[in-house]
Amino acid sequence: MIKAYILVLTYVGNLNTVLEEMRKIENLESIAVVAGDYDIIVKVEVEEVEELMEVTNKIHSIKGVKRTNTQVIEKEIRE
Amino acid sequence: MRIRIRKKNLFYLLALLSSVIGAGVTVIDTFITIKYDINTWSLCLVVFLAGIVITFILALLLSIPVGGKPIGARIDPSFPGLRLLRKEEIPYQVVAGFGNAVATVGYFFIISIYQDPSTILSFFEVVILYLLITESIAEKNAPSMAEVESSIIVTFGAIMASFSFTGELNLEGLLIVFLVLNPAWVIFSIYQRKLKLLRINDRPNDAINIRFWNLVFTTLFTAIMVYFIDARHFFAAIAALKYWPILFLSMGTTFFSYIFYIRALGLGKASVTQAVKSSTIIFSIPFSFLLAAYLPISFYESIPQLVIKLMGIILVIMGVISFALTEVRAYIFIKAKTGHPSITLIKDIWAIKGVTAVAAVAGKYDIISKVRMRTLGKGFERIIRELEGIEGIEKFEWHSILKEWEEI
Repeated sequence: MIKAYILVLTYVGNLNTVLEEMRKIENLESIAVVAGDYDIIVKVEVEEVEELMEVTNKIHSIKGVKRTNTQVIEKEIRE
Repeated sequence: MRIRIRKKNLFYLLALLSSVIGAGVTVIDTFITIKYDINTWSLCLVVFLAGIVITFILALLLSIPVGGKPIGARIDPSFPGLRLLRKEEIPYQVVAGFGNAVATVGYFFIISIYQDPSTILSFFEVVILYLLITESIAEKNAPSMAEVESSIIVTFGAIMASFSFTGELNLEGLLIVFLVLNPAWVIFSIYQRKLKLLRINDRPNDAINIRFWNLVFTTLFTAIMVYFIDARHFFAAIAALKYWPILFLSMGTTFFSYIFYIRALGLGKASVTQAVKSSTIIFSIPFSFLLAAYLPISFYESIPQLVIKLMGIILVIMGVISFALTEVRAYIFIKAKTGHPSITLIKDIWAIKGVTAVAAVAGKYDIISKVRMRTLGKGFERIIRELEGIEGIEKFEWHSILKEWEEI
C-alpha cells in the first residue's frame, strides 16, 4: 500500500473546473481546497507505484492544473 | 465510481438515518409490549435470540455479490461479506457485548419494577455527558468547549422532550440509570467505535460484521444474566420465539439503525454521535401519532407537558445544528532541521492537542500534519506555539482547509 499527498497549484479562475474533474479520479482518499501556497491537497492511496504515477498523470492532464508536488508518505500516525 | 462526499455531511446523514430508523423501532417495540403477552424478562432475551437469526439472514443476503461487490457494500463500503470473528476483535467484542447486555438488563429491570418508568428512563439521555467526560479523559482528541456546550443543550433538551409528569421518579431508579444503564452504554458505544476503527486485512472494519458478532456476545451475556435472575424466564424466552414475525421485524429494523449508527461512530466522536441520535425523540413523533390511531397511547398527557416537550425538541434541534458549526481544519507542511529524523519528530507533533494525523513524507517537505480545532484564532495560536517549541523544526507552512471531500 502506497500513500501520498499531491499538492496542486492551479491557474487563477480554474479551481472549480479542476475540482470537478478531480472528483472523478479513482484512488483519491480525500480532496481539500486550501488557502496557502497551494490550492488543492489530494491524498492518494494506491497498491503500486505505477498506480501513483497514473493518478499524478490524470491530475496533470486536467486543464487548469499549473503544477503538482508529490509527497510520498513513509510513516503515518492518525486517529 | 465510488461516491465521494464531505465527511461531515456523511456523518450527520448516517447518524440521522439511524435516528429515523430507531424511531420506527421504538414504535414496533411499543406495539410488541402492548399487544403481545411476553414477560418482561423473557422479552429481554427473546429480542436478542430473534435478533441473531434475522441479523444472520440479513448479513447473508447482503453478502450476495452483485457487480463484483456484496450488496452490503452499498450500505457500508468496507463490507467484504459475512466473515468469522478475527482474533484481534474478540476482546473488544466481549467488552462491547457485556456493556450492551448490562445496559439491556438494567433497562428491563427498570421497566419490570416501575409502573411508569418513562420519567426515570428520560435520564438515560445524560449518557451523552458520560461519553463526553470519558472522551475528555481517555482520548487524545478531547471535545472542544463548543462540543461540550452543544452536548449539554442536547442532553437537557432530550430529557425535557421525553420527561413525563405522571411517571415515577425516585432515588433507586435514578441510581440504576446513573450507575448501571449509562456506564454500561458508554462501554458499549466506546468499544463499538474501537471496533469500527480497527483495520481488518488492511481495510476499515465494517459495521455489518461488527453488529452480527456483537449480537452473538450480547445474547450470550444476556442469556446468562436472565437465567440467573429466573430460569423460568429463560425457557419462556425460547417459547416466545413463536412470535418470530414481529420480533424479526423489530430486530431487522434495529439492524439497519445500528449499521448506520456504527458507521457514524467510525466517522465522529461517540458523544457527538449519541447526541445526534437523540433526535430519535423528534422522529418518533409522527410514528407515535400513527400508532395512537391503533393503540391506547398519547404523545402528551397535559398542555404544560406538551409545552415542555416542544421546548426540549427545539433544544435538541439547536444543539445538533450547533455541533455542525464547530470545526476548523488545516494542513501544516513542516521542514525538519538536519540531524532531526522525521520519525522522532512526528511523535512530538502527534502529542499536540488538535493534531488528527501526522505523516513523515519524502519530497519537498519532511512532515505533513493535519489539525482540527474549534476556532482558527485559538487553535492556530495553540498549535503554532507548540510547534515552535519543538526542537528540530526548521520552518512550517499553514494551509487552512476551506472545503474537503473524503472517500468513505
